[in-house]
Amino acid sequence: MAFSPSELVNEPSTEQPAAKSQDVAGRSPTKIALDRLRQDKIAMVCLAVVIFFVLIAIFAPLLTRLFGVELDGGVPIEDTKPDSFPVIGPPDYAFTWEAPLGLQPSTGDDNLAEWFYGARTSLGVATFATIVSTLIGIVVGLVAGFSRGWLDKVISFVIDTFLSLPFLLVALAIAPIIVVNYGDSPEKLEVAQISALLFVLSALTWMTLARLIRGEVLSLREREFVQAARVIGVPTRSILFKELLPNLIAPIIVSISLGLPAFVTAEAGLAYLGIGVVGIPSWGQTVNDAVNFFSTYPLYLYAPVIGITVLVVALNLLGDAVRDAFDPKTRR
Amino acid sequence: MRPNKPAVAMATAVLLTLAACGGGSGSGEEDSSAPQDVAEGGAAGSGKDPDAEGPVEVPEDATDGGTLNVDTIQSPTTFDPTRTYFVDGYGVLGMVTRSLTQYAYIDGEMVLVPDLATDLGRPNEDNTEWTFTIKEGIKYEDGSEVEPEDVAYAVKRSFAIEELPEGPTFNLTYFLDGDKYKGPFQDKGEYRGVEVDGQDVTIKMRRPFAEMDYYAALPAFTAIPEDKDDPETYGDHPLATGPYKFGDYKPGTSLSLVRNDQWDPDTDPGRIQALDGWEFRFGQDQAKVENVIVNDTGTAQTTLSYDSVTPSTYRLLQEEGGERLVEGTSPCTYMWYLDQTQIEEKEVRQAIGWAYPYRNAWRAAGLIEGVTRSGGTTILPPGTDGRKEYEALPGQDGTVTDPEKSKALLKEAGYAPGEYEIKFYFQTDVSTSVAAKEEIVKGLEAGGFKATPIASTSDTIRTDESNYDAPINIRSSGWCNDWPAGGQAFSAQWDGDLVGVEGMPNLSNLSEPDIQKEYDRILTLPPEEAIPAWGGLDEMIQTEYYAAVITGYDGVAMIHGSKVGGMENNNVIGLPTFAIMYVAE
Repeated sequence: MAFSPSELVNEPSTEQPAAKSQDVAGRSPTKIALDRLRQDKIAMVCLAVVIFFVLIAIFAPLLTRLFGVELDGGVPIEDTKPDSFPVIGPPDYAFTWEAPLGLQPSTGDDNLAEWFYGARTSLGVATFATIVSTLIGIVVGLVAGFSRGWLDKVISFVIDTFLSLPFLLVALAIAPIIVVNYGDSPEKLEVAQISALLFVLSALTWMTLARLIRGEVLSLREREFVQAARVIGVPTRSILFKELLPNLIAPIIVSISLGLPAFVTAEAGLAYLGIGVVGIPSWGQTVNDAVNFFSTYPLYLYAPVIGITVLVVALNLLGDAVRDAFDPKTRR
Repeated sequence: MRPNKPAVAMATAVLLTLAACGGGSGSGEEDSSAPQDVAEGGAAGSGKDPDAEGPVEVPEDATDGGTLNVDTIQSPTTFDPTRTYFVDGYGVLGMVTRSLTQYAYIDGEMVLVPDLATDLGRPNEDNTEWTFTIKEGIKYEDGSEVEPEDVAYAVKRSFAIEELPEGPTFNLTYFLDGDKYKGPFQDKGEYRGVEVDGQDVTIKMRRPFAEMDYYAALPAFTAIPEDKDDPETYGDHPLATGPYKFGDYKPGTSLSLVRNDQWDPDTDPGRIQALDGWEFRFGQDQAKVENVIVNDTGTAQTTLSYDSVTPSTYRLLQEEGGERLVEGTSPCTYMWYLDQTQIEEKEVRQAIGWAYPYRNAWRAAGLIEGVTRSGGTTILPPGTDGRKEYEALPGQDGTVTDPEKSKALLKEAGYAPGEYEIKFYFQTDVSTSVAAKEEIVKGLEAGGFKATPIASTSDTIRTDESNYDAPINIRSSGWCNDWPAGGQAFSAQWDGDLVGVEGMPNLSNLSEPDIQKEYDRILTLPPEEAIPAWGGLDEMIQTEYYAAVITGYDGVAMIHGSKVGGMENNNVIGLPTFAIMYVAE
């Protein structure tokens, strides 16, 4: 009797299930999350937008030269009319490539250059503040969660104290102190103002992440793999950074992606209030100057507003998508 | 008097109110909404009428009652009549505390008329004694009568410059014992310079003083009962003799005025009482104020502001037809006072005059050339009696910037480009101050200087600028005429004896023997000779020493809601004519 053709066909297939199970078994939770993210169309669009702004921020000087505009290059009596409005471009004249977003009233500076450099300030400040605030939050959270007794209590107290400081009031209070102490020299003042801004933004925002991390660590440290590591005699530092930290990637990434837009908004808001760096281009500053002109020269106001809005919305949506991707409970 | 905000170069909303009567030489304009050429200077109070009498007719379209709201970015620091010397304080007190004389808006002009006194004062032959007769039957807000002794007390009180600083100081220069008497709080004895006889108050001078009638219009010459005076708190509620009295007052934030039922319109040739009250709000955000008034809905219809508008609002109101815009002159000169003790070479000072970017700085600060600012070369603003036109720097008319001339002068003085450092204050929290600062730095550097702007804030700028030890060599401020002749400007800011005085009234630290000699000589001249001589002193100071860069003359452009009636420009102080305002139907 001969084999039926189907029996012959079945033989080679015994190898495949093993190979397939290797593919499935090889994916870490992070990889799963990233794959899900890649498939989320909104997230990808937002990521593209964010990358677009990052490129603008990095290449701002190049872009301004490309468009033939200059930062702070206006000569008031040449570029504005006696009533302070620009001599070319909006609002009184047609669009011109010499000033694609128009000129500023009163000073004649170019709006497009301000926009590019404003993006740079916003993203630069937000990135720095995010990184510093995240690092502080991680370290404090890890230490607080893993230690017992008095250290935990002390750190918790410190966290609570910082949480009770009103962000805006501290920022408002620091500004005049900086001016009095560093007002003598323009360069020192600029450095002092940037440092103060970054300090205020970083020092008053790490607490949420610290608390989150502390909570996670508290629940993780009773797990068997941590207890096993301690029994073996692995030093605490290794436990913290090699065992616990990889399990905390999810909340950290989520915190970063939600923190960035918050910092962009905060910087713009502070600049609008007059805190922040005076003299450095910033979307918030431009909004402050443009508010007066919103009915006679709307484009002047809309450019920075749209910049802030699009960047913040993109970052927020991206942050939401990241959080969804990392949360195993929202598996679709 | 000092402009409201002595900010760097120009802060848009500095309202210099100056009681500068044009002395008949200016051109008055009836249509207050037409842009007056600021450079010509209006006739601020060009006439006097010693026989003017009340009551003033209340316009037909006035509703009886209602409240007018005044929003401003300014924050007056005091309402004590003896200390009030910034323009806005003067404007408010003009409705509350009556002085010996006042300015009334009559037929489009500001005219000097009697107030607490029966006439404009009667001088003796050589103007060394002035007698004012106080009207009878005038009452304070609490019903008590105004006595001539109260006026005499107010005169004595004006010498207490330690307890009540920052007020006008002409009494020190002109009144008898002005250099010795220290005020009723320190000197318990009699003051020889003022005598009361019945209803007459006689003030004695140590030098001839022909302009006492103008001086008597300042708030310091009001009636203050000695037994109700406490120098620390009187300013929180000065006793009212005018149509309105103080209601709720939160210093630096808000002030409400309410009707004073003890005011008798028959005794007052300059004011009406058509409102239930006023609501002043200080320290407001300019964009918000302008936006609210432009929209003109609800309470905005009875709201006004005495800050000069920004270009955007100016355009909107012009497009509307300009009826809610009040433009006019304001006899104030803004200057960059060059510290004579620090910038010693005349060539360097002149170089600054060529390097300063007049028009660029005005434009960047949101000022409108010809409306809210114009250029010039003299310390005395246009419209001042006896003013002499001259060019301290040939070819420089107050708007010309020539970096080459500046560099040449610096080279003459022996400085390499970028070597000589100019340090000045600006306000970091006022965006127009920052914008003007940027232009000034560019202009100075193009002219071969090294420019170091030093940061201050709007809260501290006044004290910073009047600090002798401040790390600056240039001070930015100005002067608004207190009355239309030149003497007051020079007595207040250019007397060499003022160098070292608390509050730094002599901002350029100018103290030169030949200037001082000429100044002292003019003080002895009879009025007809003195008036043109002040113009000569103006020229002498600038041509011989070039002690200040004249950074512009002031003009106002104020807005109000559609139901605000009677708002004209009081061009004596560059504020609205508060005394005759009402809510229109």
